[in-house]
Amino acid sequence: MRHPSSLKQEFLKKWILGLQRCGFSSKKSTSIMERKKAIKLSADLAMASTRNGRTCWSRALIANASRDHESKILAEQILGPESQSLKKASSTVPPVICSRRIRSKKILKRSCSSHVRRVRKIALPQKVLSANSVAKRLVQKRTNILKSLVPGGEYMDDISLIEETLDYIAYLRAQVDVMRFVASATEVVNQNSD
Amino acid sequence: MEPNSASYVLGSCPTRPEPEETVLESLQFRDEIQRLMTVPPENASSFTALLELPATQAMQLLHSSPHSAGGGGDEHKAYSSSSSFTNGNLTFPSNKALIERAAKFSVYAAAADAEISPETSPVPSNSSANLDKVKTEPAETDSNPGSSNKTQTQKLAKRKEREKKGKESAKKSKNQSCEDAEKLPYVHVRARRGQATDSHSLAERARREKINARMKLLQELVPGCSKISGTALVLDEIINHVQSLQRQVELLSMRLAAVNPRIDCNFDSVFATEGGPLIDSNIPSMVSPLLWPENPFTGNRQNFQQPWNFDALQQPLWGREEENHTFITPENSLLSYDSSANSASLHSNQLKMEL
Repeated sequence: MRHPSSLKQEFLKKWILGLQRCGFSSKKSTSIMERKKAIKLSADLAMASTRNGRTCWSRALIANASRDHESKILAEQILGPESQSLKKASSTVPPVICSRRIRSKKILKRSCSSHVRRVRKIALPQKVLSANSVAKRLVQKRTNILKSLVPGGEYMDDISLIEETLDYIAYLRAQVDVMRFVASATEVVNQNSD
Repeated sequence: MEPNSASYVLGSCPTRPEPEETVLESLQFRDEIQRLMTVPPENASSFTALLELPATQAMQLLHSSPHSAGGGGDEHKAYSSSSSFTNGNLTFPSNKALIERAAKFSVYAAAADAEISPETSPVPSNSSANLDKVKTEPAETDSNPGSSNKTQTQKLAKRKEREKKGKESAKKSKNQSCEDAEKLPYVHVRARRGQATDSHSLAERARREKINARMKLLQELVPGCSKISGTALVLDEIINHVQSLQRQVELLSMRLAAVNPRIDCNFDSVFATEGGPLIDSNIPSMVSPLLWPENPFTGNRQNFQQPWNFDALQQPLWGREEENHTFITPENSLLSYDSSANSASLHSNQLKMEL
């Protein structure tokens, strides 16, 4: 995994850049919710751009951001020169190809199972079978929840989902640290000024 | 050769006879077993699980061995302890099984790359008397003993009932073996007892091993997850962690939005001030309530002026921006940030101090 402090630095740079490009001048209303959205959005995009489209969740974030009109401009500005290639990658890859992959997997499974003669397994006692199925259902439920949490997770299979989660957790941690630092620093500065 | 190695396996005699034919094999054994012995300190729990012993019992067996002699005694202890355990708790199925085990040892000793995994599997197979692990190796030298192993194991499989503990140990040894095997160019796959060896279940098993390996990584990352066993609970913890992190991000962004009446205004002042007092005051300020009252514009303007005066290091940098005292419009500040390479390094320096 990348060195965390260098990651934070990169993230911070891009975040500040994004915030400044955000277009927050006196003409726009400075409601707290809008500001919060802008902060969060620029933070997300900054982090996503640090991954340079290598991870699925970052691409999904960028894709989501590019979809709304407001955030589209911001996304373009933050991502900068590489935005074109990134946008192309992010727009096509996650939903289309992954669903295609899933569909082809299902077709393959169906065709294989219909023709291959099932090798007879030694039958497990009924308790074990039901326990297994219960455990499987529990795990399946939780995997679905995790898929809903991680951006772009619905299109991933289990293995890549876990990898994406790892990356995403690292990103969230870095983001929380940096934001906390900046927030407390600004509060201290404001405190000192009063 | 086989009866010799069989007697070597039992190892009941205190002095180990080393016939000339098996000298090389025993040397290889020693290296492999010493490697084995170094593994337990790192992941003692899995090793003892492989032995199918509770940890205390395993340690007792290891330590209470009557044969104690230097480094060579360690492997001897392992062998004697495992074999004594076998003798004590389980009946020897037949001579065939012994010979098969010995053949497996010779097979593994002859293998060019000795991994830890082939050695861990003989140990649990010793202790559990489940002698049916078939290794599909591409090496031609092992093909003959391998095929003989296969036929014998199939017979055994048909004869015996499956023990659930044996299955678990097989699973765990397979986990370890596949984790090690992932580093190699080819993948060792073992068929579990009574399970099919067709490509589908093999692929499924490989997939499951991959998932388990990554789950272990996740477990290490998320605090408090390493003690939990069971995929569902671990996933629970991970989900909670991710949700809490996301909520923290939301709260922090609200906090930042509340603190700054304007997005870009305070960042210059924040990074202009020195790192030291910030670090000290970070702690109390973080404890303070989340929402700050919104500051008036004038207050911020004062923030702007003050830091520039007392921070000598950054004056040449900020000097460039002195024309834009009053609130820097986004485009200007953008230009100033972009043009100066120093600012990036400055930020990184400060971050190195503070982060």
